[in-house]
Amino acid sequence: MDPVLTTCPFCPCGCGFYLHSQDGKTAGVIPSEGHPVSHGRLCARGWGSHEAPAWGDRLTEPLMRHDGRLRPVSWETALEAAADSLVATRRAGRTIGVLGSARATNEENYLAVRLARGALQTPHVVSCLTATYQPLLDGLHDVTGRHAGSGTVADLEHCEVIILVEGDVAVTHPQVAGAIVRARKAGCRLVTIGAVASQMTSLAALSIASTPGRERAVTFALVAAALAGGRLDTATIVAAGASFDALRRSLAEAEVSEAVARAAGWYAQAQRAAIVVAPLVADAAELRRLAGDLATLAAATGHLDRDGSPLLILPARGNLRGACEVGASPNFLPGFAPLSDDGAGSRLEGVWGVPPVRETGLDAAQMLTAARGVVIVAEDPTAVMPAGALAREALRRMECVVLLDAFATPALELATVVLPIASFAENDGTVTGLDGRVRQVRAAVRPPGKARPGWAVLAAMLGRLGPATEYHGAEEVRREIARAMPPDIGARWREVDEARVVPRAERNGGRRPSLGPLAPCEPIEPAPSVAVWDGVLDWGSDPLVRYSPTLCRDSAAQRKLFPGGFVELSKEAMDRLGVRQGWPVRLKSAGGEAVAPAVMRADLAAGVVVVPFAFRDALAPVMGGHGVTSVAVERA
Amino acid sequence: MQVSSARTIGKERTGEWIGRLIENAEVVAPTAAQAGDVIFRKISSPVEVQWGSDNPLFPPKQVVLPQTDPLVTISRGADGLVVEPVYDERPRVLFGVHSCDVKGIDFLTRMHAYDLADTAYLRRAAALTSVSVACITPCPLGFCICCDAGPFLAESFDVQLTDLGDRFLAEVGSEKGGRLVEPSADLFRTAEAGEVARRHELEEAAKRAFGPETCHFASAMRRVSVGRVSAELWDEIAGTCLECGACNFVCPTCYCFSVKDQGRDGHWVRCRTWDSCQFRAFTREASGHNPREAHRERVKRRFFHKVSAQYFRRDGAVGCVGCGRCVKVCLGTSDMPAVVAAIRKGAWHG
Repeated sequence: MDPVLTTCPFCPCGCGFYLHSQDGKTAGVIPSEGHPVSHGRLCARGWGSHEAPAWGDRLTEPLMRHDGRLRPVSWETALEAAADSLVATRRAGRTIGVLGSARATNEENYLAVRLARGALQTPHVVSCLTATYQPLLDGLHDVTGRHAGSGTVADLEHCEVIILVEGDVAVTHPQVAGAIVRARKAGCRLVTIGAVASQMTSLAALSIASTPGRERAVTFALVAAALAGGRLDTATIVAAGASFDALRRSLAEAEVSEAVARAAGWYAQAQRAAIVVAPLVADAAELRRLAGDLATLAAATGHLDRDGSPLLILPARGNLRGACEVGASPNFLPGFAPLSDDGAGSRLEGVWGVPPVRETGLDAAQMLTAARGVVIVAEDPTAVMPAGALAREALRRMECVVLLDAFATPALELATVVLPIASFAENDGTVTGLDGRVRQVRAAVRPPGKARPGWAVLAAMLGRLGPATEYHGAEEVRREIARAMPPDIGARWREVDEARVVPRAERNGGRRPSLGPLAPCEPIEPAPSVAVWDGVLDWGSDPLVRYSPTLCRDSAAQRKLFPGGFVELSKEAMDRLGVRQGWPVRLKSAGGEAVAPAVMRADLAAGVVVVPFAFRDALAPVMGGHGVTSVAVERA
Repeated sequence: MQVSSARTIGKERTGEWIGRLIENAEVVAPTAAQAGDVIFRKISSPVEVQWGSDNPLFPPKQVVLPQTDPLVTISRGADGLVVEPVYDERPRVLFGVHSCDVKGIDFLTRMHAYDLADTAYLRRAAALTSVSVACITPCPLGFCICCDAGPFLAESFDVQLTDLGDRFLAEVGSEKGGRLVEPSADLFRTAEAGEVARRHELEEAAKRAFGPETCHFASAMRRVSVGRVSAELWDEIAGTCLECGACNFVCPTCYCFSVKDQGRDGHWVRCRTWDSCQFRAFTREASGHNPREAHRERVKRRFFHKVSAQYFRRDGAVGCVGCGRCVKVCLGTSDMPAVVAAIRKGAWHG
């Protein structure tokens, strides 16, 4: 079969390549030189993306649990069982919910939303990662009036200054890291803010250390420094009027270090300057304020919506932005329409044939705890949720778990009905990149066995639960999404990118940002040490990595060497404790304690203990489901 | 190798020639793809050939060394496991390829014949005949002239075409090449002295047209071979490498591989897959120990293999054909010309 142009399924950079196949299986990747995002440059995951569909443990026929074992059944039987068990659970007055996914297409996420808020009449539809991203969008919305950043990855290459709130973009978003490396070569000054050193901090002109989970202390100070330094955007400030004075007053208590003042000065003076926020481990309120600070900084210095000055919030995984945008989010209808929006309600009723449920939904953790029936679209909550073990327990308690996936994941053991769907390599549809552009995913091969495209399976479920619904292809679902969205966002869905179209910056339609007082920055209480997840979600558990012989090796080796997990300590901390590589240390927090082998990480600040996300369950007694916690470390 | 006397073929007749080649072999040529890219793939009609295109970003190396390369099938038989080698000996013609890629395949074939001969590779390569087009205009990032891999070839080619405007001059460089031209002798005529002279003028002009993108291998080789590159410099270079492996994947001379069985339940296909010496796990030993744990060690290893005197003596060439693809695909900034310049100058400007 001829090579087929598609979009990379891993991170949200939106790179493009051709999938090449032989004997009905994906066999290779050919980079697309003309692609507006990747220009022929791919990361290791992109280069290896053909492997998992061909090598993976694929689900090839519908399965149903009977006497504790999953047994093959016909599609008819499986779909009927799925619909009947969900309806029965709901009729019994129990909570049901639907989980969309960053691993699913926009079409699949949208149909998951329609299934929940329409056919199943439940407000609980969300993705496992919504909570890592939506608060940042809400923070931008507080200032800019829209749930989106602006600009593109390509803009970064021409920036004079880049402020990067760092997790580890070289690992999570390599195309962004590449643009930063090239920008730096061209003379750009890179400022990193983060608790843990990374490849990007080693390249930084200025690296500002922060306390894990409290990066906001730095962003708050950056706004104060920018306002103190002058060089502000007069039009924005005049328009803000008294609100600007309120903003200034709210910053009175900020502690501005010399490094922060220098970074703010560089940013304010540059003609083209960027802000990039990598996935962070922090609570929702903190994330929202951090994004609000950064949007305020961009607006006050005139960089907001300026050509060549991007403000990029990086979703943790492939289609997380798309999942949130089509409505897999507790507080919104598709297109971030507020639940209270009557116009959106009647628009959706017109499209769906039933009025949407407009109550606030539960977040993923709450939903798993409360629900007794759930539909999971292409996700393994036990691998992705912060409290993986709790997710496992919650799924075990459920009456029905309808799982749609292309791959056998640990979630399979908890499913009552399994509906095999196409992987990205066999699927048509779209995904939304971190820049907001909607990009095509195209099938390069046929799904294995009896597997069907996810959108077709969800459409079949809709048909059984509500008014007759029929789509003649993923394209038709996308056109429906455009109709379901508020008109300004829907336009973006009508004209899907062809590869050569250069993404446009999202504009505010002439609206001025609303500057106002920022929430005070709470003092950081001193703690002996702070334990934090590594901020890089566990790629090793993602089936596209786990089933790729090339990509799985690093995580497989880590799990082999440390089956019970490990923690990373600085050299200083290890010397102080008198422990060597692999020796056990005991971590104690207010929640409890745990023992794990210590591994030295040279670039770590003393007082920071890194807990690999993959081993968060082993450290759960200490972390208690939180990404950051104060701990005391001692030799075990 | 005896170079037979040159001939010419009118451009209006190349379609017919390619048509005849398609009847007897799988013809792989540069073709237009969806996003405006040019990629090598099997053609079913002469009109699919993209003449005069820039060198495709993805090399034709996959024709001899596929990304996923089935080597043996393993199945459960009555008397235990049955292992059968998989040989791909389909006659293939690689048409419209550039000089550097011909040299790349020549290099790969030498490597796979060296020491323990790789039969699967060699049988596939033996069935391949190339028809290359000499480069009258060097590509913007190419530096084949520094690697003895272009813009024109004096050896290693099967058939080499030179664009003379309304016709091609065709030189046959091997018996296999002769077998592509002889059966279509009616489409060719013997070249005139003026046409051969014109070909040499074009070669000289092409050599003069190279831009600044060159590689000073000799001085880099001296430094790399005797370990006169500091760990700090390798560290700096590694700091701008994002370990994507792209430089390996698009390099016409790289052949790192891994082996993995595909399939289950009584039938497996053991496949060779492309791999990268830049990946941390590539050098990890079974014990878990990694002799090249530090990123700088992996970067150093790559360039030692590419440009050291030790390997030059063994391989008879630097492990680079100057195609410039690594410059385009490098996700960071640590491509071949940049690193060779850094080694030579002892300073990194990435």
